Amino acid sequence: MSATATLLERGAWSRLGANILRHKMASLGAGLVILVALSAVFAPWLSPHDPLEQDVLLRLAAPSADFPLGNDDFGRDILSRILWGGRVSLVVGTSAVLLAIVIGGALGMLAGYIGGIFDRVVMAAMDVLLSFPALVMGLLVVAMLGPTVGNLILAITLTAIAPFARIARAPTLIVKERDFVEAGRALGFSNLRIMAVHILPNIIDEILVMASLWLATAIRTEASLSFIGLGVRPPTATWGGMIREGFENILDSPWLAIFPSLAILVIMLGLNMLGDGLRDATDPRLRHE
Amino acid sequence: MSERSTEPVLVVENLTTEFRIGGTWYPAVRRVGFTLGRNETLALVGESGCGKSITALSIIGLVPKANGRVAAGRVLLAGRDLLSLDEREMEKIRGNRISMIFQEPMTSLNPVLPVGFQVAEALRYHTDLSPKAARARALALLEHVKIPSAARRFNDYPHQFSGGMRQRVMIAVALACGPEVLLADEPTTALDVTIQAQVLALLAELKASDGMAMIFITHNLGVVASIADRVAVMYAGDIVELAPVDELFAHPTHPYTEALLRSIPRVDRDAFDLKPIPGQVPPITAMPAGCRYADRCPLRIERCSVEVPPLAPVPGLRGHQARCWVRAGAGAGAEAA
Amino acid sequence: MTGTLLEVERLSKTFQVRRGFLGGATGTVHALSNVSFSVGVGETFGLVGESGCGKSTAGRSILRLVEPDAGRVRFKGEDVLTARAAQLRRLRREMQIVFQDPYSSLNPRRTIGQTLAEPMAVHGLGGAGEIAETVRAVLAEVGMPSDAAAKYPHEFSGGQRQRIGIARALVLQPELIVADEPVSALDVSIQAQILVLLRGLQEHRKLSFIFISHDLGVVRHFCRRVAVMYLGRIVETGPVPAIFDEPLHPYTQALRSASPVPDPKARVAMAKLEGEVASALAPPAGCHFHPRCPHAMEICKRVYPAWTHVGKDRGVACHLFPAPAAASALTP
Repeated sequence: MSATATLLERGAWSRLGANILRHKMASLGAGLVILVALSAVFAPWLSPHDPLEQDVLLRLAAPSADFPLGNDDFGRDILSRILWGGRVSLVVGTSAVLLAIVIGGALGMLAGYIGGIFDRVVMAAMDVLLSFPALVMGLLVVAMLGPTVGNLILAITLTAIAPFARIARAPTLIVKERDFVEAGRALGFSNLRIMAVHILPNIIDEILVMASLWLATAIRTEASLSFIGLGVRPPTATWGGMIREGFENILDSPWLAIFPSLAILVIMLGLNMLGDGLRDATDPRLRHE
Repeated sequence: MSERSTEPVLVVENLTTEFRIGGTWYPAVRRVGFTLGRNETLALVGESGCGKSITALSIIGLVPKANGRVAAGRVLLAGRDLLSLDEREMEKIRGNRISMIFQEPMTSLNPVLPVGFQVAEALRYHTDLSPKAARARALALLEHVKIPSAARRFNDYPHQFSGGMRQRVMIAVALACGPEVLLADEPTTALDVTIQAQVLALLAELKASDGMAMIFITHNLGVVASIADRVAVMYAGDIVELAPVDELFAHPTHPYTEALLRSIPRVDRDAFDLKPIPGQVPPITAMPAGCRYADRCPLRIERCSVEVPPLAPVPGLRGHQARCWVRAGAGAGAEAA
Repeated sequence: MTGTLLEVERLSKTFQVRRGFLGGATGTVHALSNVSFSVGVGETFGLVGESGCGKSTAGRSILRLVEPDAGRVRFKGEDVLTARAAQLRRLRREMQIVFQDPYSSLNPRRTIGQTLAEPMAVHGLGGAGEIAETVRAVLAEVGMPSDAAAKYPHEFSGGQRQRIGIARALVLQPELIVADEPVSALDVSIQAQILVLLRGLQEHRKLSFIFISHDLGVVRHFCRRVAVMYLGRIVETGPVPAIFDEPLHPYTQALRSASPVPDPKARVAMAKLEGEVASALAPPAGCHFHPRCPHAMEICKRVYPAWTHVGKDRGVACHLFPAPAAASALTP
């Protein structure tokens, strides 16, 4: 690497440093995500009311002192339902993404490392999975297996496996050509060791960027499935379900639909900002080497 | 040796180019000055980071603007200061009166355009030849650089050529408009030895037949000996020695040049005790005051760490300058560089 | 220093490549054809040639980083190419490799200490304390400070990374090192430092080297014997000063005269060799070098020259040096 190139890279570094907007965005994004996550985790303590408690007298009540975000069609506290609904979204989304990383990431790395027929078969399978839009996949799974949280996670996982396989395979192809991998083979390392110790840590950056961006997609998908009635069954609070219920009353009592929508907006915005910031931080052209 | 008129074709004075790192500007090339005669080959030799490439980029106006700038100096091409021209005026000069060729022909040739097209493109941009005339001239140029079966290969793409052939194409593009000066930045470093020899011979022939001057940048002193008329040795942004090629190898004066020659294994001599130069080049962000080579120099005296020596004539040697308190301009007050 | 450490016999390797726009047609690259040589204990053996000659493939085949198609490799009498897993692991400890590119040879996510300790841990060579001690010792041996163990590769320069790569190759105490262009990517003044280091290690540890390079000056400095390769075959072998001062094979002559030396009076010898290196996809019939050879004869176009011994320790494959009638008749 010539010194000229080093100089120019350092220029990029100082450009990045000067451009603190990016960093601000990533930090802001992370802040939002943490905010939502904490509020979901501590929902049982933070919710002022029981999310399932109905009160006929408070049907479609506007926001008030006792119920800051108003009440829904059954008189339930919207604020509490949002807090509890966040748990569903986060549990489903995070589980799906974690499973997809493990399964898809492993498949992608193996495919890239082993190559040959194995690679082609795996990638063909991934192409099949990719051809299903998330909602269609959700429809299929729920229709065949029933609308439980587990199946919801399964459906979203299935759509996320292929992208993670791709995002793991591409850098694997590059990393396995690097000399230090060949050095490992010359030193008698097993393939398993090489993949776990030498390849995986060098591809994890890309996977993590993808993870935060896909978490946003997963949450959106869960909300969409709930919205069309394929998600977790009522009366459990889910953001998508709440929007669906609020849909019918959207002209008179918009708060039923607006607040859950805002919740989805906030978490997705946060995750996207975090993901973009991470992507910039791990861009090899902007990094030290 | 072809005759040289006394009027130099290129004069570089006091050239200083800086880069911004972490908010501060550091000079990568510091007060570099030399002249280039018509039909002369000047070798700029040094290791990575010495500033030789940046010098060439500064001359031709291609220093990356994002974080680099030419801070001072003049570059006179036939009396006109190139550094004072704006981009539009420079575009008329690049590829026309000064050309540059690079180390990696795969990235300097456009991979999706046929080679004949790229040669003709230079002609169409700078001259008013008709497309047909430009193509004919382009074909003649490809033959001039000894591409076999040039007519048949006129429409081939760069990837269909070997490294050495691609380099010839790049030379054809650079020479299309008959420039007065050719800047060659490590053009043979990536080539096999036997191919390198062919390209060096080609450049020597073209220099003789087309009468152009060349600045040849390399880190390989063997290549310097093979092609240069005069040599400028660079270290950490300074020219530390300037001499005709015979002189430089017969009487290497600056301690760096001397040390470099002693540390290169040679195929024409039995293995000798290589004497590696101790230490490393200081980083651009932490250059010492005074002579930049002082830390590694066995001849270092007090003054070296304090004051930068000027490029001064070496007593007793003809046309030979060195930047050294101990070996050049000694005693008698050194002239300003 | 007597005794043969490594014997390589008739090593051959071909690769299939896809050609054509969409990768339709395939071609066969003959990367290695019938390569044979031997390396003695404590000997420095050079493999020189230009790109595509097969020198890197030969080095990697010996270590089985590339599996050859045919031939035999014997290390201290043991057959390397047919060794099974456990035996191969043991053999791997005795032969190691140093790479060309210091920026690709170290895992950027591991500290130097981890990189150096790992091979020992994998082969079960001692507990944590002993391993740490060896790491310290080998870092000192290559001229690196011991606090380097806690740092990451990006904190070091190219020359320093190359030292670390050499340290990694030494950690299992090998007897043979394949050095694949170990100084080609380094600055001139750093090259000398690394060459001096390698020489010191070679003497101190009685290491054998297979030193792969395209730079004849470096090879002349470091190696005792050299094999010159062209398009997958060895065309000449010989002891080092003699093979460069009086090359026999026309290709060796061309290589020698084309190598620039830092002496302006020597410039006249260059560039008499016309033509491109032929493609390894379709090597010319007969002697592969004949299209570029100033001495090509009729027979060169038809028959690949047999190997001839010239004098005590030189060999060449060229019709200018025909083999004695009894020994010839074999064209590889």
